[in-house]
Amino acid sequence: MTIAMLANLLPILLVAFGIVLTLLLIAWQRSQKLILAFTLLVFISALVASISLPVHLNESVQVTPLLKVDGYGNFAFMLVLIASIAVSVLSSTWLNSAAEVHDEYFVLIQLVALGAGILVLSSHFAALFLGFELLSIALVGLAGYGRNCQYSVETSFKYLILSASASSFMLLGIAFIYSQVGSLSFAPAHVNAGYGLFYQAGMLLFLGGVAFKLSLAPFHFWTPDVYQGAPTPVTLLLATVSKVAMFIVLLKYWFSQIEVMSAHHSGEGIQSIISLLAITSMLAGNALALKQQNIKRLLAYSSIAHMGYLLIVLLIISPQSIALAWQSTLFYLSAYVLATISIFSALILTSTKQNSTSMQVIDWHGLFWHRPSLAVLIIIAVLSLAGIPLTMGFIGKFYVLNVAVQAQQWWLIASLVVGSGIGLFYYLTIIFTLFNSEQQGSYEQGLNLPVLKGIHQVSVIGLILLGVFWGVFPDTLSQLFAIQ
Amino acid sequence: MSMTIVMCALLIAGILAWFAEKLRRHSARNIALMSVLVTSAYFAFAVFTSHSAVNYGQLQELVRVDWIESLHIEYALAVDYLSLVLVSLTLFLAVICILVSWHEIKEKAGFYYFNLLASIAGIIGVFTAVDMFLFFFFWEVMLLPMTALIAIWGHENKHFAAIKFFIFTQVSSLLMLVAIIAMAMLHAKQTGQLSFYYLDWQVLDLPVSLTQYLMLGFFIAFAVKLPSVPFHSWLPDAHTQAPTAGSVLLAGVLLKTGAYGLIRFVLQLFPDASANFAPFAATLGVLSILYGAKMAFAQQDFKRLVAYSSISHMGFVMLALFSFNAIAYQGAVLTLVAHGLSSAALFSLAGMIYSRIHSRNLADMGGFWQSAPRMGGFALAFAAAAFGLPGLANFVAEFLSLVGAFHVYPMLTILAALGLIGSAIYGMVLFQNSFQGSLRTPDNRQFKDLSIREFLVCSALISLLIVIGFYPSLVLVFFQTADLAQVKDVLEGATL
Repeated sequence: MTIAMLANLLPILLVAFGIVLTLLLIAWQRSQKLILAFTLLVFISALVASISLPVHLNESVQVTPLLKVDGYGNFAFMLVLIASIAVSVLSSTWLNSAAEVHDEYFVLIQLVALGAGILVLSSHFAALFLGFELLSIALVGLAGYGRNCQYSVETSFKYLILSASASSFMLLGIAFIYSQVGSLSFAPAHVNAGYGLFYQAGMLLFLGGVAFKLSLAPFHFWTPDVYQGAPTPVTLLLATVSKVAMFIVLLKYWFSQIEVMSAHHSGEGIQSIISLLAITSMLAGNALALKQQNIKRLLAYSSIAHMGYLLIVLLIISPQSIALAWQSTLFYLSAYVLATISIFSALILTSTKQNSTSMQVIDWHGLFWHRPSLAVLIIIAVLSLAGIPLTMGFIGKFYVLNVAVQAQQWWLIASLVVGSGIGLFYYLTIIFTLFNSEQQGSYEQGLNLPVLKGIHQVSVIGLILLGVFWGVFPDTLSQLFAIQ
Repeated sequence: MSMTIVMCALLIAGILAWFAEKLRRHSARNIALMSVLVTSAYFAFAVFTSHSAVNYGQLQELVRVDWIESLHIEYALAVDYLSLVLVSLTLFLAVICILVSWHEIKEKAGFYYFNLLASIAGIIGVFTAVDMFLFFFFWEVMLLPMTALIAIWGHENKHFAAIKFFIFTQVSSLLMLVAIIAMAMLHAKQTGQLSFYYLDWQVLDLPVSLTQYLMLGFFIAFAVKLPSVPFHSWLPDAHTQAPTAGSVLLAGVLLKTGAYGLIRFVLQLFPDASANFAPFAATLGVLSILYGAKMAFAQQDFKRLVAYSSISHMGFVMLALFSFNAIAYQGAVLTLVAHGLSSAALFSLAGMIYSRIHSRNLADMGGFWQSAPRMGGFALAFAAAAFGLPGLANFVAEFLSLVGAFHVYPMLTILAALGLIGSAIYGMVLFQNSFQGSLRTPDNRQFKDLSIREFLVCSALISLLIVIGFYPSLVLVFFQTADLAQVKDVLEGATL
């Protein structure tokens, strides 16, 4: 291991080291403000380190056989860190309610970020599994963290059991693949001609494990319950960090297999299964979201649909379009992460302490006339999720459509169009609720809304401007990961 | 001339109006009116000064700068006579829109005028964009404030109408987006570079087997907006529920973006595929004419009746455009202008009646002539314009459309002409039920005649209708030289 390798690994090392220091800090002094500040310091220094990392997109640095640092993975890690920062900041408002000191909570968040970091940089099944478990186990702890909340036991058990079975399926799949390929590396040195049934079965099991994490239909049943039951900041963590990391690692593995597949024509079966997953996710996610009243459940179903849209980028036919597929994925994920952060921030800022698990869309009734900045934030986020121009989500969708047209996946395009059409219905319902000014019964909006603090106001306006700016000038973002 | 300035000015004025209303009541409408008048004056001045130097018979590029470099997307605007005429119509109707909402909008007026001006800016963008990504961008951007207008200031069933309007247009425009991307990819395949620039696309040489699908993607998006028969069902709901200015804008200009898209993109990018598709499209046009007229006759709701009559009139545009004939083409363009004025007039009238009796139901109306003769006179004139009385603009427009189309589709044109009888029937039903007969409710005895502001709106509209009716060359002169050549090109390319 050389110094260069260490330098490339610096962001991850910072987070790992930060976790140890945090534990020491807890032993020294238990203070929630201190621990929050330290967690933010760790994340921000890791973010600065990964921004300043001299990785060019076309090259990659192999750090031990396990990890490979490249521009795409590095950008994804930045996304993970930004989401983690947002989660930590938002958690502080949520955690203030209880009397105890919650330092282990922040350790768990850092562990999730570390797991995600390992995932996005992995180039080996061992690293993948390590990251996967680190992420999942820390998330189980977080999902059930609100002991006094209504659904905390159900949530964490559901997540634990399903996550464990998903990872065992994945492990079996990895074993099958290993039995055929003879190497745990994503891109083995020599590629053999006759991979048999076990290779395909292994792929299928592996895909099942990943699909569970990405909550693709039909592996989505846990999503709404866990989204609803988990504390709202943790739901945000689930929706952003865990999905970004899993998708990136799936993409890394898949694109390393493209050449094997195009050489042996063994990929068609798997490809059609991926198309099927994508189509069912797009349609089922959007259709199930239609009648949801609870905001968190609605977002859960909408995230299913979004992962379905994004799955389209896997179905490229030629290795030449890998660069475009990466670009599309990273832009789409950035848009998705920003929109999700926005909408969850708004959710936390508008909910009173207890009711965040039961927030209904109707609770946002008339928000535009009472808290215009928050309402505009929600509108931009919802439009972004719906993929309407002026927002990042549209550019993301445009990228994905580009990939799909290039790969001539007409069925997927058709279901994307139908899915977006269905999706508009519930997205517009949210927006119209915000504008609705008629009083309903004795409901007095405006009185029971928490007042925004100055710092919140600033960050809300910042999120709005960022969302619109990158929606109108996407180049400023995409040049970070575009091949010059 | 810079259309960017026009759009930015409208948008900034909208934001100003939004904030100014918070400081002083009723300042928003003044700002909105002033901004539209000033930009119209600037637009007129710019057109007249550049008119002698520049030939607007061809597309004249105004600006072309890189926007999203990684995908070779540009910010490119260009105008020709078609765009200029439609932009003028938009600006004129913008003034009408502001005047009709003068007293109608009392709540949240600031945000209302912001939405109105933003959607006008978006519509002007649609008429001038020549980069297809930019076109799509404006196409969607004009939709958002329009939906807000319906959803916030609309009538009793506004949310349903707004969602229906938005989903219809959005889904169809996604099909167009797919077609746009496919075109850009084809350009990349042939020349090695992605391009969304309209003029680049015109030189592409594509087989009909491919273009017929691409053409269909564009066609569906524009047919929904026009609207043509199988895709029309959003229109009556949206019109009925929208506030008066929303209806005026919707009928006056938004429907025209569909026709504009057909002329600019479907016919000129895919001449062969359009020619193959033409009999089908013309049939859809005739179906729209007859179905719209029949449904209009059956309505009890004033605005719903006018909405169905719009479907009928837009059918003439579709029939005329797809007959690939110079006379019919002129008729189609003139129909756009004439219908923009006459439907705007009828919707304004509906708004004026609604503000007096708070009903759109024809059963609640009747006998208004007794107390409001001036309004009745205007109503009669507008209804006459709608059914194409000679001397008013619609007559010339429909006459030219039918004469042109008759050369190509004699049978279809004979059927389409029956629509004229239908329009006379529903026009008279509309007028008789509202202004003639006896008073239905005693309250209507106090029915007020036109105020000065309303008189101004009505007389502006009627005078334009009469002027164009007697002197159609005012509009047609622009479409006799260059566009004729383009149509001829299309005609020669056609394999009818």
